[in-house]
Amino acid sequence: METFRFSRFAGTWVAAAVALSGLLLGGVEAGAAEGKQTFDAKKCRDCHQTEGPAKAKTIQDQLATKGPELWYAGSKFKKEFLGKWLKDPKPIRPMEFNSITKKNPGDHPKLSGKDADEVTEYLMSLKSKDVEEGVVKPDKNPKNRNIFEKKQGCYGCHPVKRGEKILGGLTGPTLIGAGERLNPAWVYAYLKKPKVFKPVKRMPVYVDVLSDSEMKGVAAYIGTFE
Amino acid sequence: MVGKIIQIAVITLLSGSLAQAVTSKENYNYYCAQCHGLEGKGDGPNATESQPVSPKDHTDAKEMSELTKDDVIKVIRGGGAATGKSTMMPPFGKTITDAEIQDLVNYLRKLCNCKFENEP
Ligand code: HEC
Ligand code: HEC
Ligand code: HEC
Repeated sequence: METFRFSRFAGTWVAAAVALSGLLLGGVEAGAAEGKQTFDAKKCRDCHQTEGPAKAKTIQDQLATKGPELWYAGSKFKKEFLGKWLKDPKPIRPMEFNSITKKNPGDHPKLSGKDADEVTEYLMSLKSKDVEEGVVKPDKNPKNRNIFEKKQGCYGCHPVKRGEKILGGLTGPTLIGAGERLNPAWVYAYLKKPKVFKPVKRMPVYVDVLSDSEMKGVAAYIGTFE
Repeated sequence: MVGKIIQIAVITLLSGSLAQAVTSKENYNYYCAQCHGLEGKGDGPNATESQPVSPKDHTDAKEMSELTKDDVIKVIRGGGAATGKSTMMPPFGKTITDAEIQDLVNYLRKLCNCKFENEP
């Protein structure tokens, strides 16, 4: 009798817990689903590809695109950054997208609070199976720095900060603040599998130029950028 | 019948290779001009004051004709490190094909309006 009463009592709690977690899970999914609707309604899809695999296979294809592909956004970005950026989209690329003659006009569409949060949920749900989470941890080791600055001139096309000074090239996305913006495991995958993420870009392919551990090292170094 | 199949195969092959053909100018403007400039004068947008070395002026006939063709191929393929120059010149050997690099060498000859060292 005692045990029967106990199990009924426990059973009620289990049922309640299941219902509650169902609600929570449902809530998360709903955020992403609403984010997807907002993404469509605001015509974000006019400029952004949200389904893989990579489509642009030639220079011409690439030059015809109007914005960076987002089909692996959930693997590329840190969530907190994405949420903030959608509300206040400051230029990431110094030059206008795909241009080497015009400056970025800084006119990216903005989203308000709730829309931005839901679109963030949606974009963070777009993951790539080619990114293995947790394989790279931020690391300022001088060996890693050497790959970025000496062995290769990565800052030749990317703005970076040295102390308070901003230096480097302008045709690549800024790497200032990359530690807060990018998932270092994605940076490693991006170097390791250029064909998966971006077959044609102005950046050289470093496969068989940098070793696997050098790619991890340089990704770890970028992960420390403030 | 067999003739027809071969004909179709040839057309498919041809149109495939046509669609893929990239001109040296296209490659130069896409990959090289960001540093060397669209006219090759070494003044692309990445040639900022903060860079440790300036991209070579590809229209400078005197300097360009001091390079051998082999060194030009090596430097495009392996970057500055391949010929003892600065690694700020990046390696493109895994990005574009050897044939495209050969075409770029011809394009460079046109830009400098010169011949490389030891060329007749
Ligand atoms: C007219 C084309 C266009 C439209 C419409 C557009 N974007 Fe963009 N988007 C761009 C361009 C160009 C960039 C690169 C901006 C930069 O580097 O500063 C970009 C960058 C982004 C990025 C960062 C991607 C990266 O890899 O750096 C995100 C996220 C994004 N857009 C989301 C959205 C959302 C959400 C909407 C709809 C509200 C939207 N965009 C509408 C063109 C567009
Ligand atoms: C010749 C110019 C050039 C050089 C050299 C270069 N990059 Fe890039 N890089 C680019 C461009 C351009 C892009 C953007 C490609 C695109 O999305 O169209 C890019 C993108 C990136 C990205 C992704 C950033 C983002 O927000 O999407 C990372 C990370 C990166 N580069 C790291 C490196 C590293 C590490 C090196 C050196 C081993 C390097 N780059 C050398 C031009 C360059
Ligand atoms: C990230 C910027 C950058 C890009 C992109 C770039 N170069 Fe360079 N290039 C340089 C710099 C800097 C030098 C000068 C190196 C030195 O003097 O040590 C240079 C030098 C050269 C030289 C002269 C080498 C020598 O021995 O003096 C040639 C030839 C050359 N580049 C061709 C090309 C071609 C072709 C491309 C495109 C496939 C290209 N470069 C792309 C920056 C770049």
